[in-house]
Amino acid sequence: MTAPPDLRDFLSAYLVEAEEHVTLANAELLALESAQRNGENHPRAVRSIFRSLHTLKGLSAMVGVEPVVSIAHRLEAFLRRFERSGTMVPLAATDTLLKGVQAIAQRIAALGRGESPSAPSPELLRELDALEWSPGAAAEPAAATIELDPALLEKLAPFELAQLLKASGDGQRAVLAEFFPSPAKTAQGFSINSVRERLAKVAEIVRVIPRSVPATEEAPGGLAFALILLTSASDEVVAEAAGVSPERLQTVRSAAPLDVPAEASFDGALPVEDEFDGVGLRRGIVRVDVNRLDEAMEGLSALIVTRFRLARSVADLAARGVNTRELSEVVADNARQLRDLRAAIVRVRMVPVSDLLDRIPLLVRGLQRATHRRVRIEVEGGGAELDKSVSERLFPVIVHLVRNAVDHAIESPEERVKRGKPEEGLLRISCTARSNTRLELTVSDDGRGIDRKAVARKAGRPATADDAALLDLLCIPGLSTRDVATVTSGRGMGMEIVKRIVVDELGGELALRTEFGAGTTFTLRVPLTISIVDAFAFECAGQRFVVPVAMVDEIVEVDRTQVVPVPESGDGGPEVAILLRRGQAVPMVKLAAIFRMDTGVPAPKAIIVRRGGAPVAFAVDRMLGQQEVVIRPMNDVLIRAPGVSGATDLGDGRPTLVLDLVALSTTFNLPTRPAELRA
Amino acid sequence: MSAILVVDDSKVMRDMVVACLRAITGTSFVQASSGLEAIERLSLAPFDLMVLDLNMPDVNGVEVLEFVRSQDRLRALPVLVVTTRGDDGSRERVLEAGATGFLAKPFTPDAIIAEVRAMLPGGADSGA
Repeated sequence: MTAPPDLRDFLSAYLVEAEEHVTLANAELLALESAQRNGENHPRAVRSIFRSLHTLKGLSAMVGVEPVVSIAHRLEAFLRRFERSGTMVPLAATDTLLKGVQAIAQRIAALGRGESPSAPSPELLRELDALEWSPGAAAEPAAATIELDPALLEKLAPFELAQLLKASGDGQRAVLAEFFPSPAKTAQGFSINSVRERLAKVAEIVRVIPRSVPATEEAPGGLAFALILLTSASDEVVAEAAGVSPERLQTVRSAAPLDVPAEASFDGALPVEDEFDGVGLRRGIVRVDVNRLDEAMEGLSALIVTRFRLARSVADLAARGVNTRELSEVVADNARQLRDLRAAIVRVRMVPVSDLLDRIPLLVRGLQRATHRRVRIEVEGGGAELDKSVSERLFPVIVHLVRNAVDHAIESPEERVKRGKPEEGLLRISCTARSNTRLELTVSDDGRGIDRKAVARKAGRPATADDAALLDLLCIPGLSTRDVATVTSGRGMGMEIVKRIVVDELGGELALRTEFGAGTTFTLRVPLTISIVDAFAFECAGQRFVVPVAMVDEIVEVDRTQVVPVPESGDGGPEVAILLRRGQAVPMVKLAAIFRMDTGVPAPKAIIVRRGGAPVAFAVDRMLGQQEVVIRPMNDVLIRAPGVSGATDLGDGRPTLVLDLVALSTTFNLPTRPAELRA
Repeated sequence: MSAILVVDDSKVMRDMVVACLRAITGTSFVQASSGLEAIERLSLAPFDLMVLDLNMPDVNGVEVLEFVRSQDRLRALPVLVVTTRGDDGSRERVLEAGATGFLAKPFTPDAIIAEVRAMLPGGADSGA
């Protein structure tokens, strides 16, 4: 028998799930707050928030994160009675709830950084404990007017009944579909999960109720699921999604009494909620630590190196007159498969942009309160996907731009009215994927625009009417002081950081359009995928190159007295010498010779890598240092150009080749006879 | 082999339960992420035991229990309810609804192993 596990091992999986619950709870709290402001109830949001907090509490207790347990417990205890009764949560409480969730988020973030989360402050606990249950108005629609089996009707919550009653007014109809699970249905791909997923695309699922039925051929398990739906789709469409014949659907008629109380009117179509309804239903989703994907990618790189060697051996065989047609085909297939595998791994690293954008409304809410601005936020297009590492770098950029827009660009409500603008400022964030490789993101506001003269004055340069030149001024390091932030309508703050991330780190573009008095738009174009590695930069034959640090075994000075020439092999490859290092013979090639750029000048440095365990040295002219670089793939060069894994920008705007020296070492022959190596 | 159905909407929680119970030899596991999925699986395949969370969307644990106990062929299925609500009131309600055992979160691996061992019909290892 295996030993019982240590539950602390689940901490990283816990963090991922806890973060999801925090995000969901925040989004639902905002939806609740906006419903409350319209004087409406939102029991579904309350239920969802309650459940998230309850789960957070239980999970945190399992892995021993006490501060989260104590906060979540208080929030959950407060919400429980509202969840049970379906009554309205007072608006004043929502603020405290948001504070509590924020406190949980901070502690989870601390854990993620490897710190131990602090106990909640006494002020916070006092505020949470002061939350009081006050029975508000409950939704009590007249259920008797809904024509549905009483056994099902009694299972529906008041707000679900209200949803059914309201539907008729919205041009939707209520439908009852029954799904009978069976092995045959499972074999056809129909399970309750898949049926729900399919139905969610054509209908709103009000409730699913399981019931026992006599076991028949159709229902061998003695089980039926009654699915109560709201839809405007045809019976045929709904029946197909549910995997039943259309005549098995039943329309549920209802008549709303004339005096449905206002509290009972539940808006069935809540966009925020609908968007999140699917979260718990994303079946077949696996969460993976990014490091594991990196491991997979490394494994793949090793495979690619092996493939180069294989291809080379085949070429050697062919040169000796062996018929390698079939072997060559296998090698070609293998190349294609590796390319597909690489693309598949890259896809796994992609996350939806909506993960980033979903966090913005909460940020704006906090900023509004702090600055007494009124801002309406429009977020558009979170469908695109981008690499996790791009997404992580991009988030602080969006935060900077949004913060500046709300803090400084958008005027106070009074000032806006004076200028003939609506009281509420508008902040728009939109996101579109351009081709398959780039994402375009714009952040625009209808605020006061950038004061060109003030920026120029501060930068000590002449004023410019050109937006690109203005952006350059804004991005001058050191221009971002607080007083500048004010004179430049806030646009100085952090702009050099924005530019550094977008242009230097991500290899993207940044553009600005501004009109004084009317508003500002920032446009970012960034690649959807990047890979970032620690690399050594070096010079060889007047050219700069980089090589990933992980690939390098050692960097040594070449002592000319320790270099032994090897007679030319006559195979047309680069000249190979032997470098004696600590008594070991290491084959050495001048990198310049491989690229046919050799000027005959001895190269004083050597980068040693391992080829199948054995060291190989590449002589180069000068080492330039170590830095993090973003590798942009050059059209599958990994497969097509052995030894070059991509390009990067070292900050001078010129493309620099990223070399895969291990792969490169397989493109030429090394002395193989031990006698040569002992020379 | 004892087939155990682990029902919880939290993936981490399910993984933890399975990791604990693997310590009992002769067990195999099926996971369900909602009450509805649990009911469906129970109606289509035989299980020797169910570990059930209470707080789930759509159909909560008590409703799953009620369904199980209303079905002739499932009436004798041992069900261990695992919940964050550890108070006596909850324990009573759950046992009344038909649970065989009740375990409050947080629990230790040893605690859940002992509960499940006691409930498994003799087939699984004897605890040696």
